[in-house]
Amino acid sequence: MSEFNKVSLQRAKRHLLIMAVLGLGIVPLMYFTGLMPIETVNMLGRYLCFAIVAVGLDLIWGYTGILSMCQALFFTVGAYGMGMYMAHQYPSADNPLIPQSLYVVYPYDIGQGKGEEILPWFWWPFKYFPLAVILSILVPCLMAALVGLGGFFSRVRGVYFAILTQAITVAAFLFFSNNDMFLCGTNGLSQFRTFLGFDLGDDKLKLIMYMMTALSLLGVVGLCQYVVHSRFGRILVAVRDAEPALRFQGYKPHHFKMIAFAFAGAIAGLGGMLYTPQMQIITPSNMAPIESILIVVWVAVGGRGTLTGAVIGALFVNLIYSWLTSPISIGSVQVWSPDFWPILLGLLFIAVVLVIPTGVVNIKLPSFGRKKEVKA
Amino acid sequence: MLSFILCLCLRATADDAAIQTHIQTLASRKSSERAVALDALVATGDARMVPFFDAYRIGSIYLREGVPFIGGDVITDNNLDQFVSLTSVLTGETLLDENGEPELIPLLELENLSPNRKERIKVRSVSMLLNLSSPDKDTRLKAAKQAGVSPLQTDAIPFLTGLAENDPSRKIRHTAAESMALIEFGTSDDVDVRMDAIRSLGELNSLRALALVENLLEKDETLTPKQTAIVTAARKNIITHQQKVKFFDNFKFGLSTGSIYILMALGLAIIYGLMGVINMAHGEMMMIGAYTTFVLQKVFGHGPESPQNHFFLVALPASFLVAALVGWVIERLVVRKLYHRPFESLLATVGVSFILIQVVRLIFGDNQSSNSPTWLVGGFEVANDMTLSFNRVFIFFLTMAAVAGVMVLMRYTTFGLKVRATMQHREMAASVGIHTRRMYSMTFMLGSGLAGLAGCALTTVSGITPDMGQNYIVDSFLIVVIGGVGELIGVVCSGLGMGIILQSLENSFFSPVWAKIIILTMVVAFIQFRPAGLFPPKGRLADV
Repeated sequence: MSEFNKVSLQRAKRHLLIMAVLGLGIVPLMYFTGLMPIETVNMLGRYLCFAIVAVGLDLIWGYTGILSMCQALFFTVGAYGMGMYMAHQYPSADNPLIPQSLYVVYPYDIGQGKGEEILPWFWWPFKYFPLAVILSILVPCLMAALVGLGGFFSRVRGVYFAILTQAITVAAFLFFSNNDMFLCGTNGLSQFRTFLGFDLGDDKLKLIMYMMTALSLLGVVGLCQYVVHSRFGRILVAVRDAEPALRFQGYKPHHFKMIAFAFAGAIAGLGGMLYTPQMQIITPSNMAPIESILIVVWVAVGGRGTLTGAVIGALFVNLIYSWLTSPISIGSVQVWSPDFWPILLGLLFIAVVLVIPTGVVNIKLPSFGRKKEVKA
Repeated sequence: MLSFILCLCLRATADDAAIQTHIQTLASRKSSERAVALDALVATGDARMVPFFDAYRIGSIYLREGVPFIGGDVITDNNLDQFVSLTSVLTGETLLDENGEPELIPLLELENLSPNRKERIKVRSVSMLLNLSSPDKDTRLKAAKQAGVSPLQTDAIPFLTGLAENDPSRKIRHTAAESMALIEFGTSDDVDVRMDAIRSLGELNSLRALALVENLLEKDETLTPKQTAIVTAARKNIITHQQKVKFFDNFKFGLSTGSIYILMALGLAIIYGLMGVINMAHGEMMMIGAYTTFVLQKVFGHGPESPQNHFFLVALPASFLVAALVGWVIERLVVRKLYHRPFESLLATVGVSFILIQVVRLIFGDNQSSNSPTWLVGGFEVANDMTLSFNRVFIFFLTMAAVAGVMVLMRYTTFGLKVRATMQHREMAASVGIHTRRMYSMTFMLGSGLAGLAGCALTTVSGITPDMGQNYIVDSFLIVVIGGVGELIGVVCSGLGMGIILQSLENSFFSPVWAKIIILTMVVAFIQFRPAGLFPPKGRLADV
């Protein structure tokens, strides 16, 4: 292992440790001492789900050089998987086979009345928790593999691939918004009551879900750090930096790209799966084309190709989002209206490209002896 | 009885006093008296009765001290008192106040005539029959169409026969014949007459009769085989015609949608081809063009009531220039630092598009409707039921003109030569003295201007929203992907093709959602075979 790799691995371990202390130590501590209300913990939990997707994107964009604009699609598919499991927990009074949630827009077949509906076939597997968990990760993973198959194998590269993924997102968004797809159309899945035996309003559930998400995030970051420091990861970097050279050496870049892309899809599905029990509603608007672009910006803000940066970027952008989408007044003067948020977001997009192209984690601060450490 | 009366129809003027008395009788409570009065009014056959009947049917006839008036819209003020403007039935003059504005009269001072259901039906058919011999073409056409709708009246047949044979307008002759057959079929008890009617409906390719014919085939079990054959033949005729109409419509809509796509994709392709910039704010350039048109329309005070059509002649160049100007600002502030960095330019221009959308939304609010100039309203009829609307034809020709303009600009001018040189080899072009930065800047303006033009054209077919560009951007990029950036003709072909295929899919068995998904699958499949688009660049550009 090269010297650089060793240093980088050490730094990765240190970052992981800091994240673990903050996420699994400080936040629960603040909650138990009453410094942080449960709503904030819940909110942080949701943002950690976003961070999970961002880490996946950083793997394929930061390390492999594939810009994907359909990560939110994989996220939402995972979220729908868990949503369907949760919907099964609250069956309708008229027909115990059908979840109440489905009744929001249930397209009746000819000759059917209320109470005679048949559960759509793809809802069956999601009745069982382990199966729902597996499918919520596997389905986005396979979808991503399919997209990769269509794109990478025909050498769709660079921006062309990004545009292709955006078009796929648009089509999927329309598909999920359709009322007769048995996925409740634009209303989404919302009528949930319980999750794993807990009432959804229960503070304990919120804390557990937060801890689960934080653990998953640590796991995902750890796994990705392992991948990028492995031989496989170095091929990914080679794909990013010199794809033709890699091909001339006998490697098949599209295979590696597809595997990385499918892996990121699975990670996005995991994030989505953890998101539904915390948000308690999932709608197609979560996969609107803009959402996928937002994920790209989180990674860009944090810093591409660092993994830690993806986490920081996702948390940072979302926290200012939750702060700035409510009016702010100083005294009686309203100084901030939520209407300005899209403008600020737009400026953030531009700033991240023009001012801090390497992301906030790489901003050069006046060093306090850290520089020496890197040299060593 | 009606037919007798209508032989006298639209006779010159009747006696004013008599009309006034009859109308006053309509205020009576006894329905028998009212029926007599109404018949008498019909019998006058006075041309002034047409607006009177129309107003009477919707209950807006008012008596003011015994004089009948037609009321306008009822206006309610803040105290919930209601007012109405009045137009005399007899003289056709509107009552004015001292300022020359229509005078508003409190509803409490007036007596309102409200017809019962029977009277309403009668009045409706009478006014339809009167309209059949109206001198106005559109009124005649409308009445001829209405005659074929239930309640069917045999009284209308003599008029319709006259229209079907002698009317100068082919469309009215056709509609009258169609309505006549519909009436004969609907009212006659004689099976032969009904079969004749069906046969002629089939020959007329009557779309209005399709449901009727299909119903007959499904439900009526008394048909003899011979009759069934007649009905089936008619149905086949109509369905063939319907498919033709559908194909025509798809082609027409596809052509205009495709034209908008071309205008959008042309700019995108030039900008990406020349400077390697993915401009996600391109849709917003279109939006800016549309809002420029909207603002100019307001400035000129154009509206359906007071058409100021010349606003559009100003709006066309203005939308181009304003969008080009905004493009120049964006190029100066953001894009200039991002040449040949597609990913970065993509992200930054997404930010630009957020800002533009939100700023426009804060200024203008959400949806706005626009009025296209009156000479783009309407269309000419190519064949029965196939109308080519002027606005869609206009969009198509505007696009063709723009494409031709861009081609001439690129091929035969010094500017085009310099742009092409810069596109092939920037450093070399710079070293022979071409100001490449300026080329970039001007090309970006040109692309943005074309999108602005698309926005201006789009206002003639749809409404305006701040995020209207978002609906077009993804599809436009797909068109660039299919067409390739090397040749403009590729963009034209793929734009038109995409427009027509998308429209045909949407309007056939597939819903718009499935159409999008199928198009996408087709695009992915297409890329497998031609990764560099329809017309791949050759030579030095090929490996970019």
